[in-house]
Amino acid sequence: MRQVRAIAVNTFKETIRDRIMAVIVVFALLMIAAGLWLGSISLGEQGRMMKDFGLVTVTAFGLIVAVFVAAGLVHKEVEKRTVYVLFSKPVSLVAFISGKFVCLCATMAVVLAGMGLFLFALVWMVDGRPSGMVLLAVLMVYVQLLAIIAVTIFFSTLGSAILASVLGICVFVAGQLSQNVLSLTRLGKNSLTEALSWVIYVIIPNFSAVDVKAGVVGEQTLAWGQIGLWTAYLLAYVVVVLALAALVFRRKEF
Amino acid sequence: MSNSQRDTPQHEGSRPAVLVSGLHKTVRVGFRARRLEILKGVDFEVRRGDVFGLLGPNGAGKTTSVKVILGLMRPTSGSVSIGVEGLANVGYLPENPYFYDYLSGREFLGFCANLFALDADVRRERVEGLLQDVGLVQAGDVHLRKYSKGMLQRIGIAQALVNDPELVLLDEPMTGLDPVGRVEVKRIIESLRERGKTVLFNSHILSDVHELCSRIAIMREGRVIWQGTVPEALAEAPTLEDFFMKVVQA
Repeated sequence: MRQVRAIAVNTFKETIRDRIMAVIVVFALLMIAAGLWLGSISLGEQGRMMKDFGLVTVTAFGLIVAVFVAAGLVHKEVEKRTVYVLFSKPVSLVAFISGKFVCLCATMAVVLAGMGLFLFALVWMVDGRPSGMVLLAVLMVYVQLLAIIAVTIFFSTLGSAILASVLGICVFVAGQLSQNVLSLTRLGKNSLTEALSWVIYVIIPNFSAVDVKAGVVGEQTLAWGQIGLWTAYLLAYVVVVLALAALVFRRKEF
Repeated sequence: MSNSQRDTPQHEGSRPAVLVSGLHKTVRVGFRARRLEILKGVDFEVRRGDVFGLLGPNGAGKTTSVKVILGLMRPTSGSVSIGVEGLANVGYLPENPYFYDYLSGREFLGFCANLFALDADVRRERVEGLLQDVGLVQAGDVHLRKYSKGMLQRIGIAQALVNDPELVLLDEPMTGLDPVGRVEVKRIIESLRERGKTVLFNSHILSDVHELCSRIAIMREGRVIWQGTVPEALAEAPTLEDFFMKVVQA
């Protein structure tokens, strides 16, 4: 546990001090603020536009940070040979992978908290009343991104950082669409494609099930029981994917 | 006992600090996964308390041998036995070390100390003592990306010693150091020898090897072609450099 904490704290300092991170966050805040302008041209839907555009921006920039930082963290250790320093000491692979994941959880928490609170303040300013649902939606984005971080760490143990980033984004997009794909293949009544889409549905988490953006802007009633179950599924998914990453990394030589 | 896992074997009083027997390492390189045999049966022994020099031209297999000893690479065949209790008693300086850009030297040493089960007071004392030993007290709070090559080498040596190891493996410890830095590193190695630690180091700088080592092994093309004491080598040639050339070109 001590090693996990040491690796997580060390990596967190490294990540948060990198200027690129600050640039991404500042740009994200500017994009969220651009929602004010979009709202002003939306004919009486300023509050809704602000929430909608703001949450999409938070998700997009959260995804960028999650994927690119997660892809780089493990790969950079190998590429720049800092793994020599770590693994010449009694550091277990589980501690290494867990430490990296915990660091990214903390980094994402800081980044999303910054963007979420900024959006919350802007929505309050536009609507004239606070909307806790905005913060809840950001929390659910966080849950989705934890799964993406785990998946990207897994891919980064297999190949290059760029490949891991691309695959991480692909999994996120596929996860948003997997429910729709399953529904569509059921309509087609082809047992082979239906079975295939079931496999994809199980392997790639259904992110749309924990996406509450539509509920926040009032387009959909939220089923909290189902959201809770899917959140538990995503967290279990994270554990399995990280265990796989540790298994793959174990086979590596430096 | 094979060192195929990352944990090193258990301590046994009479065993040498490092015993490498019949070590082979083959890797696959290139698009066609061509087999390349890096180690072709390496045998050497490092006795407890020795300062042991592993010499050889570039590509001889010195760094690979050290990586296999540490478990960073798995041997294809052969065995490595380490006579200290686990990696907690081993220190390692990699060749051309690169560390974390955005950590200060003090933070980096604190991080390395944190990977061992050291008490906070011991940790703090160890970090400050090592910064003093390698002459980096003033630069302790500067980010590592602003360190010169020599400073990185010195902080690398400090991290290798942060757990007060019984066995220290240094891969080209003098590389990139100015004369003052070299004297400081030599002083550190001498002090390790005085404290009964075992040191194995790779080097191309034969004058340093002559000064520091009690025993040496010379590698060429993945094999140890000569090993013995420095006086034994000097009995066969006027200088260590002459002896090295004679053995390597034979």
